[in-house]
Amino acid sequence: MLKDIRVSCSPHISERLSTCSVMIDVIIGLVPAMAAAGYYFHIRALVLIATCVIFSVATEWLCNAIRKKPNSLDDFSAVVTGIILALSLPPNLPVWAAVIGSVFSVAIGKMVFGGLGANIFNPAMVGRTFLTASFGVLMTSWTVPATVDAGMPKIAPENVVNARTQATPLAWSKRAIKSELGAKEYNEEHFKATFTGEVGGCLGETSVIALLIGGLYLLIRRTINFHIPLAVLLSAFVFAAVFYLVDSSAYVQPFFHLSSGALLLCAFFIATDPVTAPLTRRGMWIFGVGTGTLTMLIRIVGEYPEGVMFAVLLMNAVTPLIDRFCKRIPRGGKPSTK
Amino acid sequence: MRIDTKGRFSFPGGTHPPEKKDLTREMEIQRGPAVTEVAVMLCQHIGAVCQPLVRKSEAVQAGQKIGDCDAFVSAPVHSPITGKVIEVALRSHAVLGRSLAIVVEAFPYSPTKWPSFKLKDDFDENNYSAGKICEAVRQAGIVGMGGAGFPTRVKIEPNPRLPKEILIINGCECEPYITCDYRIMLEWTDKIIAGIRLARRASGCSRVFIAIEDNKPEAIEVMNAALKTCADGEDIKVVPVRTKYPQGGERQLIKAILKKDVPTGGIPPMIGVVVLNVATVAAITEAVISDLPLAHRVVTVTGEAIARPGNYHVPIGMSVEDLIEFCGGVAKKSAKVIMGGPMMGIAVADLKTPITKTTNAITVLTKEQIGRAKFARRQTPCIRCGRCLGVCPENLNPTKIAHAVKNNLLDVAESYYISACMECGCCSYVCPANIELTGYIKTGKIFLARQKKKIPV
Ligand code: SF4
Ligand code: SF4
Repeated sequence: MLKDIRVSCSPHISERLSTCSVMIDVIIGLVPAMAAAGYYFHIRALVLIATCVIFSVATEWLCNAIRKKPNSLDDFSAVVTGIILALSLPPNLPVWAAVIGSVFSVAIGKMVFGGLGANIFNPAMVGRTFLTASFGVLMTSWTVPATVDAGMPKIAPENVVNARTQATPLAWSKRAIKSELGAKEYNEEHFKATFTGEVGGCLGETSVIALLIGGLYLLIRRTINFHIPLAVLLSAFVFAAVFYLVDSSAYVQPFFHLSSGALLLCAFFIATDPVTAPLTRRGMWIFGVGTGTLTMLIRIVGEYPEGVMFAVLLMNAVTPLIDRFCKRIPRGGKPSTK
Repeated sequence: MRIDTKGRFSFPGGTHPPEKKDLTREMEIQRGPAVTEVAVMLCQHIGAVCQPLVRKSEAVQAGQKIGDCDAFVSAPVHSPITGKVIEVALRSHAVLGRSLAIVVEAFPYSPTKWPSFKLKDDFDENNYSAGKICEAVRQAGIVGMGGAGFPTRVKIEPNPRLPKEILIINGCECEPYITCDYRIMLEWTDKIIAGIRLARRASGCSRVFIAIEDNKPEAIEVMNAALKTCADGEDIKVVPVRTKYPQGGERQLIKAILKKDVPTGGIPPMIGVVVLNVATVAAITEAVISDLPLAHRVVTVTGEAIARPGNYHVPIGMSVEDLIEFCGGVAKKSAKVIMGGPMMGIAVADLKTPITKTTNAITVLTKEQIGRAKFARRQTPCIRCGRCLGVCPENLNPTKIAHAVKNNLLDVAESYYISACMECGCCSYVCPANIELTGYIKTGKIFLARQKKKIPV
């Protein structure tokens, strides 16, 4: 009657969760942002996303084949990397550059470390950094969303000269800092534009609403903890607010910083990448605050208009250190007898 | 007045496995099968192993002590049936592997007798001195029946260095599937209350809490009603606690009710608390009042694969196979036979494994029940999601410990406090990467113990 029974250690049941389901949740969370990108940048967005996903997956497959490791595509982590990379690319980037970016992301950002779980840096950010370093011009020329017509609020004066390319709100705020423009020119309408996404910028970072919906989904599904997003946004806000209060003619208001650039994408989807973030709650707070502060430091003090990418990579690098310092103490205190 | 059965007390961490108690929660405690042979393990508890008191071919009476030991932390074992010792031999033990057991064969002409017990109306615990209660508990071989099997006498005996103040009766039964404690609370209520009073008298505790998870409102009501009718009912309080695994763990229960932490590596008496399981308390009553030894216990036989699940009062020492057979065998294709519940129970390979004093359930799971993750899904590398840290009731870092053990870095595992792990299984349960964290941690503990004792592997 009882043949073929199995023996293993407890527990004998487990939650209906898998790495694959976690990754699929992240993909679902990214759907609104992808939809927004598709809406604003039409076919360009779809082509870039598809390219990045396909080449990320293909690279992972190839790396596994070369290393003679079992196929690991079923955990869907390569798809997530591809989507996040695509969403952080400017819309008019040539497809060949996106291909290079995705191959670099997965091969150098993830597989050389030993695949999922072993990478130190966020693969998508590694790929994007590589692209920025190699093709700086391509990575910083932006197009106006296809839906923006001539009557829409103009984010930057360049619009008048050249209707095709446009500076991002952040580049514009950078110039405000350098007193080429007054920060006061930034008004309600511009703010609204960043909210819906009708501004220049990377594919996935333009629409605040889409990102918030996706982030909320992940929070409700408990795919991510609220610690990192909250820490990132709060610290960035405080940092920007201090500068704004000191000199409101040179620095734009803090909400502007939160709603523009890749900060939201970072807070909900990039910094929360579990593999490259700390394990402990305390570590997550430190990581989040570090990311938010560094981003703002680069944006306001540094040379680049956008700092998310470098901030995340820097914090990734110190994650093992954070984890070491935030050791958990057993509930009953440290054992007295060693 | 309606009794509030909502549990407000809880502890940090923990998880919510599907309860699955409906399979047996309405099943009254029934007598188990008449057995022809039992194998009474000589070590069914924490502490020193008993020495056999009988020899091969000797005749034994039901309730006769057949193994004992002089050590303080130990408990004697008794034969549940009248019969003849056919051998003293090795049998599979769920935890210890192969270990010695006394095998008794029932005389064909003496039918299996069940201990009968009725609480007299004029019961008064003050007729029994503390010393007498402790001695009776010791002689009856009572151990913690909830899982660990710590000798109860050691727990309740007053200790001048560690005075006890609070007695917590554990009726949580947080493990999925199991309902034996629940049925005991409903059906043996008077025994439990008498036992509580005896244990209180013996240990000198002044306050008593009965902790019951709020998924058992009937038990909470029955207990409350019973306490109303007895004289000193006000001193004993029923505390509904939140339904969460592992609420029934000693340390978690103390944290939930008293908001106190038991020191790591320490025991509850260090902070003046004694925790006793409801089944144990009922056994104390039987032992003190009628000198009945702990030779029978209630076992929940459950799981989707069992034809007739239920709660059975069975002799300790009968084999798992006999009990499953008695319950109609397995209906569906079974995949795992577990002594205990699915979270902490132990999967047995040998169905002749005898039931011990600490076996609260036999759970037979089908492939679908386990299969969900353990069979079907691939194990991936740790994605460092932190879920295992979030659920760990002991506030440990399971992934770091498990990976340290995996890489044979026992000192690193120790630096992450591997010894503080209570092996509840929450971390393995939630891990999306499907890593057997608890398994690695258990292995690591065994390695460490070997290292310390210099036992060759
Ligand atoms: S739950 Fe599993 S995947 Fe998540 S951190 Fe723990 S071990 Fe890693
Ligand atoms: S580490 Fe130990 S105590 Fe913590 S959840 Fe895992 S098994 Fe339970």
